[in-house]
Formats: sequence, C-alpha cells, structure tokens
Amino acid sequence: MDNHEPKDFTELTCTNLMIKLKILLSKLPTGNQVAFFATREQVDNTCAPFSGQGYQVSWKQEAENRYLVRIGK
Amino acid sequence: MASSTFLFCDSIYDERMRWFRDIILASNGTGTSAEPVDIRIFLTGDALFSLVDARTRPAWNAVSAIPSVQVIADADELQLQGLYDPVVSGCSHVLISGADHGGLFWERLVAALKDEWTGTKSAAFLLCNSPYMSRVPVYMLRFLSGVRSAGLSPELYTYLDGVHTLHDGQRPSEFENIGRGVAALADSAALAGRDAWFAACSRCATARGYYQMNPGTGFCEPASCIQGITIRPLKEILARFSGDHPIISHGGGMTVHGKGAGARIPHLAVFITYPPYCTEWAFGGLSLAIAAAMGGIRTTVVFIEDGVYALHGTHQVPGNDKIFNIQEMIAVTTDVEGLSYAVHVPSLAERGIGISGDLSLVREVTNDELARIMFRPGLEGTTPAMRIIFF
Repeated sequence: MDNHEPKDFTELTCTNLMIKLKILLSKLPTGNQVAFFATREQVDNTCAPFSGQGYQVSWKQEAENRYLVRIGK
Repeated sequence: MASSTFLFCDSIYDERMRWFRDIILASNGTGTSAEPVDIRIFLTGDALFSLVDARTRPAWNAVSAIPSVQVIADADELQLQGLYDPVVSGCSHVLISGADHGGLFWERLVAALKDEWTGTKSAAFLLCNSPYMSRVPVYMLRFLSGVRSAGLSPELYTYLDGVHTLHDGQRPSEFENIGRGVAALADSAALAGRDAWFAACSRCATARGYYQMNPGTGFCEPASCIQGITIRPLKEILARFSGDHPIISHGGGMTVHGKGAGARIPHLAVFITYPPYCTEWAFGGLSLAIAAAMGGIRTTVVFIEDGVYALHGTHQVPGNDKIFNIQEMIAVTTDVEGLSYAVHVPSLAERGIGISGDLSLVREVTNDELARIMFRPGLEGTTPAMRIIFF
C-alpha cells in the first residue's frame, strides 16, 4: 500500500471507515501500511483506537479538518 | 404479557406471508412462549393487496382468526385502491379502521403504541423512502400528525432515499407536499410545547448532495435543505434507538414485555430482504445494524427472502468499482460486541442455494427460531423490548 496514492475516506461514516480499515488491514502484509485522508472526528473516533489493537497509527494535518493517516502492521 | 405491533406499507408477497404466518403461529402455542403474544398488525398501502390476493389471503385469514391477533386495515387506502368491498366481504376477522370505522387508522396505531410503551413522551418514524416516488412519506406525515395529536413529541429519522424529504423548494403538482408537511409538523409541535426531533443521516445526505463540503472550513454544511430537519451523523440518530419510545418504519414492528422498554435498552433486529448490490437496501440495513451494535444496542441481522443472496457464493468487487463487498463487511464485523448474524434456512431452501463457507459464523435459523428472535418471550420486566426493521 506504500506506493499507492492515499485514498480519501473523509466522507465515510466512522462505522463504515472502521469496516473499511478492518478489511484493508486484514489483507495487509506485515511491515506494510495503509495511508488515507480522514477528518479530525474520524482520526479521534476510528483511527486512533487501532493503536490499541497492535497497529502503528500516525497522522499529520494537511489542511483544515483533513489529516493524512498511516496505519502500519 | 408480551405484545407486538407491526406496520406494513409495502407489498407482502407469498413467501413473506408464509414465514410470517408460521412465526405468528409459533408465538401462539407451539413452544416459543409460555403464553400467547398479543399481536397487532397494521396494514396500509400496497400491503393491503395481500388481503385479497389468492396467494396470501388464506394465511391472513388463518392469522386473523387467532384470538390474540388483530389485523387492522387502513379504510382510506382500501377505498383508494378499490379493495374496500372485497375485504369487508372476504376477510371477516380483519378490522377496518378509518374515519367512519371506529377511529382513524393512524390514530389507532398511535394509541396502540402509546398503550404498549407506557409513559412514553415521543414516537418516531424511520423514513427510508423518497417523497413522490413512494407514498410512504405520506404515511409518515399521517403517523406523526397522530403522534402530535396524542400529546407526544414527533420524531423523524430520514435514512437512505428518505433524506430527499430534506430538499428545499418541493412543488409537487399532484401530490401532497412532503417538505411543507414536515415543516408544518415541526412548527405545530413547537407551538404545542413539544419539540420535534427531525434528523437526516449525514452519510445519506452527503451522498445525495444535501450536505456539501465548505473548502474554506473543511466541514460539511447543509445545501438546499428545508429548515425543519437537522443533518446528523447516523450514530446520533441511532442513539435515539436506545430510548424508551416506539419507532416505526415502512415495514417492521416492535415487541415489548410488560409495558415499554423499562430501564433496558431495546434490542434491534434488522431483516435484510433485498439482494446485495443493485439497491442500497442491503448495505443500508447492514450499515445501520453495525453502527447500532457499536453504539451499544444488541443487534441481530437476519438475512431472509432475497437477502440471502448476500451470503451466497464468493463476492469479488472489480478493481474499478467503488462499492463495499457485503461479505467482507460481515466477515470483519463478526467480532463486534452485541452484533450477531443469522440466515433464514427456508429462504435458502426455497432458492436452492447455500451460504459461502467463509461465513460460517452466520447462524442458520428456522421459523421457530425466528419467532424467538422477534418475540423473545421471557419474564415480565427482564426481557428487553425488540425493534424489528425490514430493509
């Protein structure tokens, strides 16, 4: 996933983003990461909790209410 | 004693009538319940045709003859559809409700719900159909007007195509203006000191162009919307499902034990009845169910009728397509606390199909087990209420 353009997930609900991430992470080889754009609410409610499930989660603000999130396995 | 109230607005075909008859019979003496469940079934719209259709009429006659079951037909809609005389003459146990027949249909429905949900302050309609293409929004207005007249606060949750109710400037030449009706309802409720709580799902509103990103702020704002409805995240709408008040929709019902939900959060059963991809019904139902479970509501998803196709074969989304793989959605959410999946075995058998081996955590249920899911007999005060919604 490293070489792909980050996808824009800002319009997904928190629940559907959680589902999308679980699907993507279930197919992700160890050592790789997924990168995508998310809103502040998505970062707080959906992305950050993945750090408690053994994933490395980081994010960087790109614009007002737009964050580039990386979740690694 | 447990009691259930159902409302059906859409067509009831032979298959649904058969399993519905069987679970009603199961709930009234074949082992799922120590005592019969008091059941009221309200029929309006296209559902009324099932009272005269030769494929479904015998089942309605069998069901309506059970002493603890009442089938109530909307007299106004019977007359509109030319069904009044055949139903009066051919369905002796069916109660006909209208202005000249013991009270308006919708007021009778509200009264039934108010009786079951003792002490409730509000009643809600989950609207998934769009104005004008569907008559369900007209029924929504009639129901919520009845709610207001009964001294309760009306609540409206618009979801899927139901969010088109939001659109400003509706001017139907031949139909009742739904946008204006919602605004008038909100105003009259406020004047009566009962605040209306009218909401539209933000995901559905965004998809349909009613909630647009402001590039300057990075946040979405309503676009071309009427004033009476607030766009909210689905989880805020689903938080209302935890409350002690009835919620009806175009198809579905509720079971309560004793009076109302009491202190416990009502459970939710979502019936997926459509095939997985060509309409939003299956995704919408599944998405709502998962969000409800994540919000702390114990939820069962039942794949039934054509909904079982969601579980058949192995689905693969083409690389150039932007759609959720329903099977992957199910597979990655089997660990969500409070969420369970079931498939209706007779629906599989009727279609001669099985379910994908990757979905072994989806429990197979018979009509008897379905009756237990829907009516959950238990000791009064200990069994949560159950909301049932058909998608």
